[in-house]
Formats: sequence, C-alpha cells, structure tokens
Amino acid sequence: MLSFITRRIAAAVGTLFLSSVLVFLAVQALPGDVATQILGKDATPDAVAALREKLKLDKPAWERYADWVGGALHGDFGTSLVSGKAVGGEVSTYLGNSALIALVTVLFAVTGSIVLGVLAGLYRDRWPDHLISTVSLVGMSVPEFVVATVLVLCFSVALPWFPAVVLYGPDASVGQLLPAVWLPALALAVVMAAYIVRMARTSVIDVMATEYVTTARLKGLSTWRVVTRHALPSALLPTLHVIALNVAWLVGGVAVVENVFNYPGIGKLMLSSVQNRDLPTIQAIALISAVVYVVCNLAADLATMALNPRLRTRGRTR
Amino acid sequence: MTPIVSVNSLSVAYRSGGRDVPVVHEVSLDVAEGQTHALVGESGSGKSTVAATLLGHLRHGSRITGGSVQVSGADVFALPARELRGLRGGTVAMVGQNAGHALTPSMRIGRQIAEAGGEVPVTELLAQVRLPNPADLARRYPHELSGGQQQRVAIAMAIAARPKVLVLDEPTTGLDVITQRSVLDLIAALSDELGLAAVLVSHDLGVVAHMADEVTVLRSGRVVESAPTRQLFAQPQDPYTKRLLASVPRLDDTGLAVVGEAGEREVRPKAEVPADAPVAVSAQDVTIDYGSTRAVHGVSFDVRRGEVLALVGESGSGKSTLAWTLAGLRTPSGGTMRHEDGDLARPAQQRPLSLRRRVQLVFQNADTSLNPRRSVGDAVRHPLRFFGTAADRPEAAERARRLISDVRLDPALADRLPAQLSGGQRQRIGIARALAGEPDVLIADEITTALDVSVQADVLRLLDDLRRERDLACLFISHDLAVVRGIADRVVVLRHGVVVEEGPTETVFADPQHPYTRQLMAAALEPDPDALPYVDDTADWADAADGDDIWTDHGADGHRVRRWRPLDAPVAEGAL
Amino acid sequence: MTTLDTAAPTTVRGARTARAWRTLSTSRTALIGLAIVAVHIVIALLAPLLTSYDPIANDANHALLGSSWSHWAGTDQYGRDVLARVLYGGRYALGVSLAATLLTVALGTVIGCAAALRGGWFDDVLGRILDAVLSVPSILALLVVVTALGTGPSVIVLAVAITFVPQVVRVVRGAALAVVPADYVTAARARGESTWSILRREILPNITDVVCVEFAMRASWVVLLISSLSFLGFGADPPTPDWGLMVAENRTAITVVPMASIAPIIALATLVVGLNLAADGLSKAWGVDRIREGS
Repeated sequence: MLSFITRRIAAAVGTLFLSSVLVFLAVQALPGDVATQILGKDATPDAVAALREKLKLDKPAWERYADWVGGALHGDFGTSLVSGKAVGGEVSTYLGNSALIALVTVLFAVTGSIVLGVLAGLYRDRWPDHLISTVSLVGMSVPEFVVATVLVLCFSVALPWFPAVVLYGPDASVGQLLPAVWLPALALAVVMAAYIVRMARTSVIDVMATEYVTTARLKGLSTWRVVTRHALPSALLPTLHVIALNVAWLVGGVAVVENVFNYPGIGKLMLSSVQNRDLPTIQAIALISAVVYVVCNLAADLATMALNPRLRTRGRTR
Repeated sequence: MTPIVSVNSLSVAYRSGGRDVPVVHEVSLDVAEGQTHALVGESGSGKSTVAATLLGHLRHGSRITGGSVQVSGADVFALPARELRGLRGGTVAMVGQNAGHALTPSMRIGRQIAEAGGEVPVTELLAQVRLPNPADLARRYPHELSGGQQQRVAIAMAIAARPKVLVLDEPTTGLDVITQRSVLDLIAALSDELGLAAVLVSHDLGVVAHMADEVTVLRSGRVVESAPTRQLFAQPQDPYTKRLLASVPRLDDTGLAVVGEAGEREVRPKAEVPADAPVAVSAQDVTIDYGSTRAVHGVSFDVRRGEVLALVGESGSGKSTLAWTLAGLRTPSGGTMRHEDGDLARPAQQRPLSLRRRVQLVFQNADTSLNPRRSVGDAVRHPLRFFGTAADRPEAAERARRLISDVRLDPALADRLPAQLSGGQRQRIGIARALAGEPDVLIADEITTALDVSVQADVLRLLDDLRRERDLACLFISHDLAVVRGIADRVVVLRHGVVVEEGPTETVFADPQHPYTRQLMAAALEPDPDALPYVDDTADWADAADGDDIWTDHGADGHRVRRWRPLDAPVAEGAL
Repeated sequence: MTTLDTAAPTTVRGARTARAWRTLSTSRTALIGLAIVAVHIVIALLAPLLTSYDPIANDANHALLGSSWSHWAGTDQYGRDVLARVLYGGRYALGVSLAATLLTVALGTVIGCAAALRGGWFDDVLGRILDAVLSVPSILALLVVVTALGTGPSVIVLAVAITFVPQVVRVVRGAALAVVPADYVTAARARGESTWSILRREILPNITDVVCVEFAMRASWVVLLISSLSFLGFGADPPTPDWGLMVAENRTAITVVPMASIAPIIALATLVVGLNLAADGLSKAWGVDRIREGS
C-alpha cells in the first residue's frame, strides 16, 4: 500500500515535469522572434535587444527552462511584461479571487449533483430519472456564457438582486467581491453538476444491478439500508474522479464566466495576458493549472484507495 | 404432512422487444420439511428463475403470468413489502452461485453476516460453517478470502436468521472438485443439524445424486420428469432424462459414451496408438514464470501423433499456462519444447509460419473465441488464407465449407454471425478454425467446460473422430477426471505447477498411487445416488522429492509418481 | 441451449446494417438527436435558399429593429438580419466542429487502439504524455495557439484536435482494452498476425459503436468550445456569421433587441442538445454507456 502511494506520487511528479516542459516548449514554439512578436513590427532594435536580454533569449533553451522551473519552485515566475510587477504575486491575487468562486461552485455542484444523480439512478426509467436526466442534458448542452447571460437577465436586470458586473479591481476585499460571486458560481455549477449527475447516475445503476446488491435485498434488508450500506460506497468511488476532473476543469472554465461578469479572477488575467502576449504570466498560469489538475487527480486516487478495501488491504496475506 | 414449499403451475414470462417470452411454463413442485429437492436442467431450462421465485424475486423485466408460490403457508407474491422482507432471510434464504460476487466488497464479513438478522453470534455462525479463526475472519473483507471460504461465508449469512428453507443456486459450480465436495458435505450436515428444507439448483447430475431426496428435471421452462432421486437415476422414464443421464461421463468408462436417441448408452473403445507413432511435441523440464511467481516447475512430457495426452489439475495447477505457452502466447523461462518443425520455446511471432500453422489452440469459452462482428465462415476462411493452405479466395471459401462440414455442421451456417449459433456449434467452429492450418498438434484448453452435458458428449466425440481421421497429436487440458478417462490415452496430473503422477489412463485410473490423485478421484461425484467413492482412503502427505531423486516408477508402461511421504510417518513411503 | 434462428439474413453485411438499424430504431432518443443534427446540417447547406438577406452586409438604416414581418428575429447594431446570420452561422460552427471532431476521433482511435494492443512501456509513456497535455486547460491552450497562429479555421481545427485527442485516446483505449483479452484476439496473436492486421480485423469492428458515440459526444464539446472561443473574440473573425460571436456582439443590446441574442443561443443549444441526445441514445442502444462515462 505504501509502495502504491509512493508510485502514485512519483507518477504525479513525472506528469508535472512533463507538463512544465510542454508549457515551456509551447511558448518557445510561438513563431517568429518572441521579442519582435511582443513589441510589434515597428519596435526599435534597441528595445528588441533590451527585451531579448530581459527574456534571456540569448541563452540556450534548456538553461532558460532550468532558470524558469528553478524560479517557479521558489515562487518566482519572473516579471510581467505588461504591469512590470512580479508575476507570482499578481497571479496569486487573481487566483485567490477565483478560489472564492471555485469554492462556492464546488460546494453547490458536488452536493447537489450527487443527491440528484443517486436519485436518478435509484428511480431509473421513472419520472424522477427522466426529469433529472433531461435537465442535466440541457445543462451540458448550453455553453457557460449563455447560462451566465441568462442569469444576468433574470437576477440582475429583471430582478436586481446581484450585480451584473464587478466594478472592483483585483485588490478588492472579500467583502466587496462576495455579492458578485454568486451568479458566476451558479453558472459554473450548472455546467459542472450536469456531468457529475450523469456519472453518479450510471454508477448507481451499475452497482444496483450487481449480485451483492441483489443478495443484500434477498437477505430481507430495507431499501434504505441496501442503498446506503451496500450500494453507495461502491457507487460513489468512480464519481470521485469525475469530481476531480471537473474541479481541474474549473481553472479553464472560469475564463469565460469571469469575462462575462468582469470578475477580477485568474480567467480574466489569462485572457488579458494572452491578448497582451505577456509570456511569463501565461507560463505561470499554465503551470499553476497543471498543478491543480495533477493535485486533484492525485487526491482522487488517494481517496479512492483509502475508501476501497481491496486497494487498502493490498499486500496483506490471505 | 403439508409441504413447506409449494409451487403451483407457475408461469413466468420475460418482456423483450414488446412481447412476452415465456421462460417458465406451468411448473409445479412440493418440498416437504427437511427434504432436499433438486431442480435439474441445462442452460435455459428456467431452473434458477423458479428457485428465485421462492424469495419473491424476479429478474428485471420478468413477471408472473400464472400460478402461485407458497412458502410456509404464505403466498409469496401476494405479500406486502414489509412481510416479504421478513420472509426473505427469516423463512427462506439463498446461497448464490458465485460468492465472490454475492458479498459486498466494501463491507467487513462480520457486519454482512450480522445484518442478516437472527440471534446467533457471528463468530458462532462462522464456526458452524467450519471456518478457522472466526473472530479474525469476521473483521476481514470478502476479497481476502479464497473462493471456498467465500462460499462458506455466504452459507453462514444464509443460516444466520435460522430460516426454514434454503435455496441453493448452483452453490458449487465455480469451485474446484475437492472444495466442492467439502462445501456440499457442509451443506448436507447443516441441513440435518438445523432441519432445513432445501431447493438445490444444479446442472451437475453428480451433485444432484449426492445431495437430493427428490429431483425435478426441467427443459425449456417445463417439467420433464419429477421423481425421488433413487428412482429417477435407476429408472428414468422420459427419453430426455435418459439421454441426459447417459451423456454424463463416468469415472469407470473406458472410452467415450455414444448415446442413442432413446438414451441407450454404449462405450466406444479407444483407438489404438501405434507403438511406432512419431513424437509430435516434446517438452523437457519446462518452467514458466508470471513475474516473480512460478506457475510451472520443470514439467516434461511427449505427445505422439494420434495420441491424446490429458493434463489434469485444479485451478492454479498451471495446466492452461502450459497450453498457452505451447501455443506461443507466453515464453517459458526454462526447459525445452520441441516440434519436429522447430523450437516451441519461442513466442508465436518468432516462429516460422510452417510451425505456427502446425500447432493450433482451441479455447475454453466458445462465446469469446469468435469475433462477434465477423461471420463464422470468415473465421475459418481467414486462417486458410493467412497460412497459405488455400491459394485464392474461391478455394478458401470451398475449403472452409468443407471444414465446417468436417466438424459435423451444415456449411450453410457459414454466413451466420457467432451470436446466431448455439454454444456447441460455436465450439465446433472454433475447432474448424484450428484445423484450417492443417495442424498436427491440437491443444484443447478445457473445451467442453462451458458446455451442457449432452453437447459436451458430442464435442468430445468429434474431437476423438478428428484425431483418428487426421492422426492429430492432441493435448487435452481438463479439470474433469471422468471426461479425461473417456478420451485420453495418457494422463499427467498437475498440482501447483508440478507433475505428481503420470501414466497410461487405464493404469492411473485402475491404480492411482499419489494421494493427490486419489483425493481428486474420491471427491469426484458420480451420477448415481448409491455410488461408492471411486477410491476410499486418502492420506495426509508431504512432498518427498529431492534433487535427482524425484520419481517412483510403477511398472514399465511409464506410470510414475512423484515421491511423497505420509505426514505422520517419518519414512518416505514412495521410497520403498 | 438456444439457437437463435431468427429470419436468417442473407449476408453478414446486411445483417450488421439491419442490426444497427434495429437497435437505432428502438432508441427514440437517438433518432430525435440525429434528426435535430440533420435539420441543422440541411439548414446550413440551404441557408442561401432560406433567406434573401446578406448575413454580412451592413445597413445602418435598419439597425436594432425588433421582430417584424420583414425581419423575423430583428436586426443587430449594424442592421444585419439576425435570422440570416443565424442560418448562415451553422456553416462555420458545423464545418469547423465536424472537421475538428473527425480529426480528433480518427487520431484518438488509432493511438488508443495501439496503446491498448501494445501495452507495456509504450502505453505507460503515452499515458504520462497525455496526462501532461490534459493538465493544461484546453481553453488556455487554444487561446495561445490562436494568438500565435491566427484565427484561421484550419488553425482552430488543429488546435482543437491537439487538446481533445488525449480524452478520445483514453476512451478508445479503455474500450479496446476490453476487447484485447478476448480469445479471438489471442487466436490471431497465436497465428502470429501483425499488430495492424489484428487492429483492423479483430479490434476496430468491435469498438465502432464506442467510436461513433465518442464522435457524437466529442462533437458537442467541440461546438461548445469553439463557440466559447468566438464569444471571447478569439474564434471566428467579424463579420463572419457565428453564433458565439453573435451573442458577444448583441449581448450589450439584449434589453433592446432580445431576439438578437436569443436566436443564436437557441440555435447553438439545439445543435448541442441534438448531439448529446444522439450520443446518449446510441450509447444506451449499443450498451456502451459504461465505457464512455469513464472519461
């Protein structure tokens, strides 16, 4: 079991290393001279040379990679080409704002979707299932910006309960941002929940059809006991991975929604840094997204292991 | 005395594609208290469906179309949900086929037994099913137990609330013969001890003869015949029952049984293998490893043309591993395997085409051995073209039709998909596909295990005919001693990857020397309620082979036994 | 034992088509979904016949009109007929999405099958690399590629393929892994057949259903992603008629001309619902839902 954990963590580190190489290479592979790209065609040669110096473009690629990763490990992602501030600090401010949305989203989406998914699975092919399945299908089929737009129409324009756009900058306090968190979080939760509902439903249906659930029923147990003790522990395990994937997806998903609400989060920073070709910031965001993805998956794997006796007791003799 | 279970002209239908498909048709049976009633039939006979109705359980999509089921005076399907729950477990309990699937993987065994209700403490129940260290076992999870232990746990769970009726649905089908015997003995002992009535569902007539007081034979959802066990096995009335009984291979058959339309039985003598028949495959000291575990330790054997050599053993004995290695699907880690055309120790991709086509494998499970998306004709045609045994398409088509008729099937079936054939037909196509390479060595890996007993008899006879016609060297892998007795010329008994006894079939069966062989034979169940065990005494033993001194010879015909000694005696008996 | 002697079909190919059709026709969901997608395709192809307005030409005199007989869905801020732009908009969405999905699924199927069949280090290394690609949010990867290489349709197709291939590989690999241990694959191996021939003859025919479902579902994701990209201003270049772009352009005037935003939303949502219904229905009818949900 310990060796399993070590191997799994080693794999995660390996993936992170590959991701960092990939991110680095992708940015390197941008066509043309990066300095000219950033400054535009009519930049003075002096300015280009200065920028090349700043980006250390004269050094070989592997050395620049080592510098970058070495710095990143200490929280130093270089300086933003646009604001001139340290990328690390800037990204973490924006990330913190997004974390507020993410937290609310995950809370809504996970609890709601598991309840609905399990219900749909238990009432398979009856009206609660049809209703929940249809709603989740629609939820999956509508892009985030549409959900966000509709929410603004309903709860900012028709019923002025929540602000339609955020008027504060990235340094706003939690108290200032809090009223603006709910609509973006709801928009994201709708899309995210749709996937988890479907996964939970299939997995509940699968488990309810197993022989051990039939055996439990034929033991004369009540439906409640059969579901909670025999079916759910096995049924919810595969759902964990989908939740992890969706949490990781949030990092990208916020881009659109934050843009709709003008919310000062990581998605907005991502968009503006792409528009401004702020390479150090793009690299930092990509690397941080990769870390979130890898950590979420690792957490799901370890949680699965902790909850699955077959994996937990591996290595114990018969 | 009123029966405790009474099924009255029960009919069950399954809804499929908008219409009702009857699966059980007007079945009636009564079980008296303390009696064991067996439901016998081949697959699709509806026997499991009938058994499950005793607990008020129907498969998703099935419904009762007539009749009733009464258990202990209550009409099961008229009970309100709450009382039905009380009936389940309290009055009727079930033991299913595969305990590995029937136990919840995420729950400790003790809790699963405890929630079945009843007053009896869990440890006492576990002790009652003869499991060692009950207190420790109760804290374990199902996957930490062996198949036999899991089945015992399932039985403990069933008897927890002290029910009056036990429904046993193929309770020992997945188990090895020795484990099966001990589980059956346990069930019989518990039924006596607790005064249980039992409904036993089985396809195995040996199990039924051993366990049941009364037998009902089912076929396609209808009752064919119902009688007390002794009477049914001594004087079966219906031709179907007669044929079924006659098809079961016996440990004392000296050849394959040929069964007539009316159920008459004739044992066909085995073909003589000429003394000068050339050796087709020769294996010397073969060892095979799976990672760090050794599956086969130093096994040697020769197979001659026209001869059937049987590898016999329980699961985990390494017999299938050997077969797959010969077929080139694994690489041995030591020893030699030779065919006159080349080295068989190399994997298939590295063997020359001429060698690959001459050693062919037939699989255990005919359902998965044919590509479901390709016609069976295509399955035979493709190797013909691949091995170059047919020059062009028309010839391949023609040869494929001939091969299909060679395995006693209508060549018109060539256009069908595997799903449109029966299990026995699919297995014949599997044999035809193997024959397409014009092999001289055929490896048959448990080819009749998944088949019903009457189909098994046909496929065995086909195999026997083919080796006569084509002078095949046949390596026959099986766990079933009675089948081996009928078809094999020589036998090799494997245990944990080691050969414990080998020799001509007749000699080994007439005078088994190794205690393990004797144990296997003693555990085998014959389709006769009055049959005495094939061998009576089995000793506790320990391996005594060391270094070069491995074998004890018994006669000049190659019958030899691995050295062993009785456990309580210090001197090796085989060494005398 | 039962022999299924149902009306014997004359040829296997005929039987296969018949079977596929039979399962399809039992699934109302799949039929409705496919019908919706078909309607979208027909509209996109026949757009010039369905409307006489030019979807691109500006007409400042008729800007921001409400619904009327001449402009059913009103006009946008540049005076273009919204309905015409919605009808033409399907061309971009469907064209780019279908091309991207085809490329993604084709690549993913080949790589996934190869990974399942070869196994060993190849599978391990591939798994790591795909995981690394997956770890970067697809929208960020797309944004970077598009800013670097421009917003041409071919660039978007390629970028979408790169970001979505890993997920297809995972699903196909899972499905193929279920087929690889089957005895008929083992039999082909024992005959010593080449990897490619085993793939083509034994494995691919048995995972076509999974691949079809994967195609439908992936297409719905691609449509969503591409429309999001357009919405953010990184996809279709104005004045190309595109639904995502239209929502972005007309959102500010949503209180004035609601139809200008709602019409493209409806078009987009129905297309994706159609694709999802098709994927759902097919996977249920073919019994492949289990393999798919694992993605």
